[in-house]
Amino acid sequence: MLGALVCAVLLFVLTIVVFVFKEAWPSFQHNGWAWFSSGGNVDRQIQEIFTAAADLRRPVYTFHAWPIIWGTFLITTGAVALSFVAALFVSVFIVEFAPEWIRTILEPVVRLLASVPSVIFGLVGVLVLVPFIGEHVISDDNRRSVSYIVSLSGYSLLAGVLILTLMIAPLMIAVFSDGLRSVPRGWLEGSLGLGINRWRTFWKIGVRTARPALVAGTVLATARALGEAVMLAMVTGGVAFAPNPADGVIFFVEPTRPLAATILQASEELTAPAMRHTIFAIAAVLLFSALMLSLTGWVVKQPMKKYGVRA
Amino acid sequence: MRFVTPPPVRRLPLAGEQPATVVEPGAPGGAVATSGRRLQASPMAVERMTVDRMSIAYGAKVAVDEVSLPIRQGEVLALIGPSGCGKTTLLRSLNRLTELTKTASMKGRILLDGTDTATLEPTALRRRVTMVFQQPNPFPMSVFDNVAYVLREQASRRPRKRALQGAVQSALERAGLWEEVKGNLAHPALRLSGGQQQRLCIARALAADPEVLLLDEPCSALDPISTQVIEELIVQLREQVAVVIVTHNLQQAFRIADYVAFMYLGELVEYGPAEQVFGAPRADRTKEYVSGGFG
Repeated sequence: MLGALVCAVLLFVLTIVVFVFKEAWPSFQHNGWAWFSSGGNVDRQIQEIFTAAADLRRPVYTFHAWPIIWGTFLITTGAVALSFVAALFVSVFIVEFAPEWIRTILEPVVRLLASVPSVIFGLVGVLVLVPFIGEHVISDDNRRSVSYIVSLSGYSLLAGVLILTLMIAPLMIAVFSDGLRSVPRGWLEGSLGLGINRWRTFWKIGVRTARPALVAGTVLATARALGEAVMLAMVTGGVAFAPNPADGVIFFVEPTRPLAATILQASEELTAPAMRHTIFAIAAVLLFSALMLSLTGWVVKQPMKKYGVRA
Repeated sequence: MRFVTPPPVRRLPLAGEQPATVVEPGAPGGAVATSGRRLQASPMAVERMTVDRMSIAYGAKVAVDEVSLPIRQGEVLALIGPSGCGKTTLLRSLNRLTELTKTASMKGRILLDGTDTATLEPTALRRRVTMVFQQPNPFPMSVFDNVAYVLREQASRRPRKRALQGAVQSALERAGLWEEVKGNLAHPALRLSGGQQQRLCIARALAADPEVLLLDEPCSALDPISTQVIEELIVQLREQVAVVIVTHNLQQAFRIADYVAFMYLGELVEYGPAEQVFGAPRADRTKEYVSGGFG
């Protein structure tokens, strides 16, 4: 009975994957590897694919996704890196150093934050962070210097990264602190009993032992960051622009749009076949990244098992 | 079973057969030559720690009540007594591990070489007075890294592996584990047998050259053969460090201890040479306990 259920679920997942890749294939087929390259304006390409679809005999498939892939990469790595550092320190504090009363407050708060819907984060971003960046971070000189390429309004990479950090950090903290808590007391005491101070002990034994949990939490949070659409569509500007590091500090306040948010914005245009294939191609890239992410997590965990650290 | 005459247990070869190795600069009576088991406090033994009217309470519950004891290098001191009598608490207070328990409060003094341990940094104290726990708790690292851990943490700059080799080897040799692991120091410590793990923990505790070694029922999780190996090891070690062992195994205390302290309900009931405590106990409660009357 249970076996049948497991098989059914597996079959269902497999069906989804096969369906997505099948629907995505025409877009990849027409563009080849150029699908992943840069060239042209993604928003304009989407527009053309949609309008040309009226003439079913000559559909347009040209799509160069690099700006939105780059945007996804920037936002995800930025948010994951920031929240990893923050979450590590916060969870070490919660598990090992916080007084009891702080712990009893912090833990439910973290769990609550982890379950707040992303629209609410997006709303906070739009109402608080975006205006703040628009008014206080971006100067008029900044605006003028790139005005012929892109307009800076506060909807930006920075806003996306910061809000996404807030969103995924609680998830990481929850997984990290569970991992740190399950470090056997005896190992920590053994180190303390040798005259190693509490901080070093927790760092060298506790965190080291909990590495598999750190990997698991990071993979989980990265997957959520990759798939986040609503909040990022709200705060990153909705322009398929590739922020350019050569612009210096302005790089951080340039708008962008990740893959998932692109799907969200284009979802009304699904009726046109060429459009549908293009959107499914984006979905296939996301799905593939998630798959790779899990695989990477698994690979990274393997050497940690060598010395008997539990995974 | 009564210990009117010592029970027919196996006596270990005592350290007298080996050349003595204690050389303590500045300490009176530098080299100690011993032969066989001492029956009284040897004038040559070096007193390292003094427990002076120590009381420890967890909240309102008194775990150790006004205990005074000397701890000497060159002797094994065994703390015995029924479960919950405070022997482990007393042991943990020797390197201030009791402070990790938030509710614990202490009165009295413990001196290490004449210095009140309360005035020392806990980390500095715990490097000089190291602890081996009841459950073998090697870190999830290789055998080498387990022993090198303390050395690396104590160094101000991370030493190279080559530089640690000698110290690691000597620690493993002192713990009697070298011959078994020398072929593969990269072996995961958690894959060693229980007895080997415990000896690794002893090696780890010895690596930093402590002055006092505390053992909290080190054999209670081990099989008889591993126990025998560790007992022999403890008897040898007493020349190099002062050894305090908590045990609930009377036979074991009799086999390896030079001095025995019997505790009951937090009080030190009797302290004296092992032969006397087991053979001719002064207090009635000791007599009952060593003859298996209770506990």
